[in-house]
Amino acid sequence: MKVEAVLKAEEGDILGASRNFLAKLLAEGLVDYLLVPLEISHGRTLAQTLVKGPAHLDRANPFSPVMPVSSAAIVAQLTFDKSGKKLGAVLKPCEIRALVELVKLEQASLDNLIIIGTDCLGTYEVEDYAKLIDKMKGTAKKKGAQVLADMRQGIAEPDTKTLPLSLRPACKMCNAFTPLISDITLGLFGVGDGIFTSLDSELAEKLGLEVKEASGRQEAIAQLLDSRTQTREQVFAEFRGKMETIVDFADCLDTCIMCYACSSACPLCYCRVCFFRTDTFEPESERYYRWAEREGALRMPTEILLYHLTRLNHVAISCCGCGMCESACPRKLPLTTIFQTVGDGVQKALNYVPGRSLEEEIPLATIPEVKV
Amino acid sequence: MTEFEPRIVAFLCNWCAYRGADLAGTSRFHYPQNVRVIRLMCSGSIDPVYVLKALLDGADGVLIGGCHLGNCHYQDGNYKAMRRVEALKTILHQVGIDEERVWLRWIDASEGGLFSETIQQMVDELQAKGPNPMRKPWQVWQETVGCQPLGIKSKPNKRR
Repeated sequence: MKVEAVLKAEEGDILGASRNFLAKLLAEGLVDYLLVPLEISHGRTLAQTLVKGPAHLDRANPFSPVMPVSSAAIVAQLTFDKSGKKLGAVLKPCEIRALVELVKLEQASLDNLIIIGTDCLGTYEVEDYAKLIDKMKGTAKKKGAQVLADMRQGIAEPDTKTLPLSLRPACKMCNAFTPLISDITLGLFGVGDGIFTSLDSELAEKLGLEVKEASGRQEAIAQLLDSRTQTREQVFAEFRGKMETIVDFADCLDTCIMCYACSSACPLCYCRVCFFRTDTFEPESERYYRWAEREGALRMPTEILLYHLTRLNHVAISCCGCGMCESACPRKLPLTTIFQTVGDGVQKALNYVPGRSLEEEIPLATIPEVKV
Repeated sequence: MTEFEPRIVAFLCNWCAYRGADLAGTSRFHYPQNVRVIRLMCSGSIDPVYVLKALLDGADGVLIGGCHLGNCHYQDGNYKAMRRVEALKTILHQVGIDEERVWLRWIDASEGGLFSETIQQMVDELQAKGPNPMRKPWQVWQETVGCQPLGIKSKPNKRR
């Protein structure tokens, strides 16, 4: 049975409390290894790190404000061959959703895995965050604490005066910022000066946690959900209103350089070798000349629309909205909007919500029941 | 003026739809010549990328033909095709491609008549729709750039 508890933070030191908690998990042997974001480069950025020695945890930040890569792919890398090692993975809600999809696609395993899901206040682009830290110099810590306190009450984003930094587009329209599936939840929303946790009662006992219901959490979540849903609907309506013909879609993608960064960054694009990197659609040069002759002109590279539409076909049904595609795109194409909007349509048509439950099968992999 | 002749790419399963097309031929059923047939082992083996490729390269319609539900030679391939085509059509609709250009039909090996009727029907509907805008891909890209080739914006003439 799951119980709720609050990890007390001395003098509002949320990070300290979370680090102590993670260290305890390692010390008690509940996990052998921890996958958690660690501050690197003098706090200018964070990187997912596989930690064995608890001493390293003094730079850990489970509530990392940046997400350089989606950890779902890393967890898949660490669990696909079922090594039997007890891994605790600190994951954001979108990473958990992607991991659930990867498990269904048989790319990852939940055996011996403890998912430590965190509430997500949203993340910033890596380069923006690093620049801001440089600019703020010593004041970053104080300011960060203030921003954190505001956002924990359910405010979508502090005004630009307080923080000249804007959340990633995916985070701005994210409406699933609390973990749906997790063994241990570390929550930020609503709780005054501590961390909300939800975990198995036996585990709570082992860790010596005092069981206590948290108040104010649901209200803060509801408030944020309201404003995020509004943004989301707005983005969807805007995109749908624009897409009248294929020209409008091509318009969104006309600066694509076919670098495949989006598919490399996508946790769900799991093929070892992408179909588009093989020479399936790369015929002998003679054909290009022939096409150019027929059309009068041939846009090179040729398969931009096909590439994005195929990726939509492969991923849209499972798209978890992490937005890593757009963050990775050197041309900053509106990929999050495209994948989330089209994904929403496909998911509704096939009655499926990605990452919601492990039992629900991916519709394309199942045989629908239709009366003959 | 000659009437617009749509080009149809048909992916037909080896066991039913292709045999149906075969029967249409041997039975001397008449059907329009607008269709180019590609034989597959099963409608379930169609990768949407090839349907997309056909549409983006200017095919006016794509027909996917399989066995009737419950009749699949591989038990449930046509169910898989059904799901895939459903997802594909939803995507096409949302990005501004006319999803009605993709047809999924069940045609049995004994239904040569149905095959010729289906093609006739498809040609009629596609003629009403007009050509696929992707027939002129360069125009699509050019319109998106909203300017002349080479990226030079045309300026209004100032003669006076």
